[in-house]
Amino acid sequence: MPPHNRMTANPVKPARYRAGKAAGPASESEASGSEEDDEPQKKAPPRRAPPPRFTSASGPGRVISRGDGAKINLQGVAVADARDEEARRQAARVARLEAEKKAKEEGFVTEEEDEGGESDEEGSEEESEEEDESEEEEEAPRRLMMRPKFIPKSQRQASGSGTATAGLTSETNPSEEDAAAAEEARLKAADALIEEQIKKDLAARAAGKKHWESDDGGSDKEVDDTDDIDPEAEYAAWKLRELKRLRREREAIEVKEKELAEIERRRNLTEEERQAEDEEHLAKQREEKESRGKLAYMQKYFHKGAFYHDESKAAGLDKRDLVGAKFADDVNRELLPKALQLRDQTKVGKKGATKYRDLKSEDTGQWGRLDDGRPKREFDRNVDERFQPDDRRRDWDKGGDSGAKGANAIPLGDRRDKPREEDRDRYRRNDREEGKSRDRSRDRYRDDGHDSYRRRDSSRDRRRSRSPRHDRDDRDDRRKRSLSRDRDGDRYESDKRRRVEAR
Amino acid sequence: MRKPAFHRADERRFLDERGSSGPLAPNGLNPATIMEKAVRERIVDSYFYKEQCFGVNEADIVDRVVEHVDFIGGVTGTVQKPTPFLCLAFKLLQLAPGDDVVDEYLRHGGDRFKYLRALAVFYVRLTRPDRDVYARLEPFLEDRRKLRRKGKSGTSLTYMDEFVDDLLTKDRVCSTSLWKMRRRDILEDLEILEPRVSPLGTLEDLLEEEEEEEAMQNGDDANGQGHDGDSDSVRSVSRSRSETRPRSRSKSRSRSGSERERSNHDRMDVDEPGTQRSRGGRSP
Repeated sequence: MPPHNRMTANPVKPARYRAGKAAGPASESEASGSEEDDEPQKKAPPRRAPPPRFTSASGPGRVISRGDGAKINLQGVAVADARDEEARRQAARVARLEAEKKAKEEGFVTEEEDEGGESDEEGSEEESEEEDESEEEEEAPRRLMMRPKFIPKSQRQASGSGTATAGLTSETNPSEEDAAAAEEARLKAADALIEEQIKKDLAARAAGKKHWESDDGGSDKEVDDTDDIDPEAEYAAWKLRELKRLRREREAIEVKEKELAEIERRRNLTEEERQAEDEEHLAKQREEKESRGKLAYMQKYFHKGAFYHDESKAAGLDKRDLVGAKFADDVNRELLPKALQLRDQTKVGKKGATKYRDLKSEDTGQWGRLDDGRPKREFDRNVDERFQPDDRRRDWDKGGDSGAKGANAIPLGDRRDKPREEDRDRYRRNDREEGKSRDRSRDRYRDDGHDSYRRRDSSRDRRRSRSPRHDRDDRDDRRKRSLSRDRDGDRYESDKRRRVEAR
Repeated sequence: MRKPAFHRADERRFLDERGSSGPLAPNGLNPATIMEKAVRERIVDSYFYKEQCFGVNEADIVDRVVEHVDFIGGVTGTVQKPTPFLCLAFKLLQLAPGDDVVDEYLRHGGDRFKYLRALAVFYVRLTRPDRDVYARLEPFLEDRRKLRRKGKSGTSLTYMDEFVDDLLTKDRVCSTSLWKMRRRDILEDLEILEPRVSPLGTLEDLLEEEEEEEAMQNGDDANGQGHDGDSDSVRSVSRSRSETRPRSRSKSRSRSGSERERSNHDRMDVDEPGTQRSRGGRSP
């Protein structure tokens, strides 16, 4: 059971020195000592400074001082037998003395102490002890004010003895003597610890270890760098290393020479031979590519990465084929119900799982699909020419690959004989204007503001288009009013949108 | 970029001048930026540097090495604590000793204190041009003393020749990115360097030697033939440039033709190059 002053998992630090308080490593070392006999005494109270206990609920004004200034160190006192009534009473008395001592300094007995004493009798020991201990710490700042009780000189003990034993032997109580002895032992243990630490420091200093060096000086002993232990062996080892280096260099030279030779050889071949070799090489590559496995349904694509190629080659792993690999628990995911066909199996059954399966099933494009899915109009070509559709051209456009689709599927209109007069003038005017307007575009932009710039620009762009159909100028300027006129008028001049609707 | 008359005791001016006005190292690098900023900061903030590398000159460096350097390494541990080796290397960068001092470190000092030699070798690799690096470092490929090395993976044993080899081939040693030198064969092609002759001789010599020994062991009766075969093959190899022998290990000729004859003179394991062959009645 880890030592718990408080109910935290923090390591217990040694208690700070507080003036007037009985300092003692005894409480801590007690705890560590009790860790060994953990099991049988699990329920044993942690040996702490016992809380002030009061056997009888007396008022706050109860006098509990010793009155003679003797220090009573009760830190180490603990109840040996938890269930003993005697012990408890005696502990209460001890606690009283403790409270007296505290009273002597300053402060008053609080209600809580009383309560603590009471609950002690009732509840189990360790709980109350813990409560009381926590209270005790809270009490330290609180004041213990007790009415001093006058003890005549004959009954006063020697005030000089600050040791626990002296204070306790005054009580002449066997269990307290035991407690005292135990406490001594603990003190000695603590002293031993401190001594050990000091000795270690001294040793380190003696060994010349500097404070900037870390504590793993032991590694110096592991790796020994004394030379000439075995000259023969060392020479042999060195020779081996040197030979390895020579061989490494030799191999580098060889690789380079081989490459040069290869280049020479290819230069000496004729053109056809070169091509033949290239073909061979490509064929081999293609075959390798095909012989690799295909990705299974929803198999994750593992890219082999760009960086560790050399290392994996050294480990002999560069030729492996992860795509076609099969492993024992490989279950065909197509057979699973849709809900389990998830890419990320950790999200099965969870809310945020993405329903993505694989690219092919999620794709909405029409890659390679040649018809729109519309029912194809079946035409019988054998009927009379009069009963065939007007624009037969459409069919033989679509016969092989279909041509344009959607908005582009509008057939080209016939070229008009001559553009309209206004258009022609406008075109001419625009050509002249554009040269000038470019120079003045900045001014215009600044002067006329945003709209005019945009309007001029857009109309200029649109006027560039020579196609007679797309007379956007009309549309732009007189959009709302031009509906009827354009529809009735030149079909080819109204804009595309209207044309499609008309169809 | 004049060399200052006095060295400063601390590193502040050295680091402040790393932009422009400090003197450059012989290989053209700015000595203050040879180590990376993170490593520099760690060095300069470490206790060892502050205590021991304050106001040291070239002679004191030797003292420091002898007293404190027990291992080579860059930064160690989770907090990336710089090793004394690295701190002293940084101090050397600041001091910028000349070639004579560095040679002393390498030769005489290095004979006595191997870690001083390791430090000097490291410094040469960082600050000298490639020709000088190869010229100075390659003799120490024969030094087989042990070194303790502390790295990310803990303490390990290495050797001086391995350390020098790492410096010549690897990119990053002791937490420092080594500036990229030209390869040795390129320098050989440019006639700046001579091809390196290992004290063991070339590989072919060694293999031949093995062959000869085998032949001598195997064929007592075919003494002359064994040797005939050997010396014939020797001569055939020495003639063709890139002929590969029909062996399990294929070798091709090394660059210069006269290397073989030359190397026969300084073979360490043979008293005289001619003695073995003479037994078979053939003269070299």
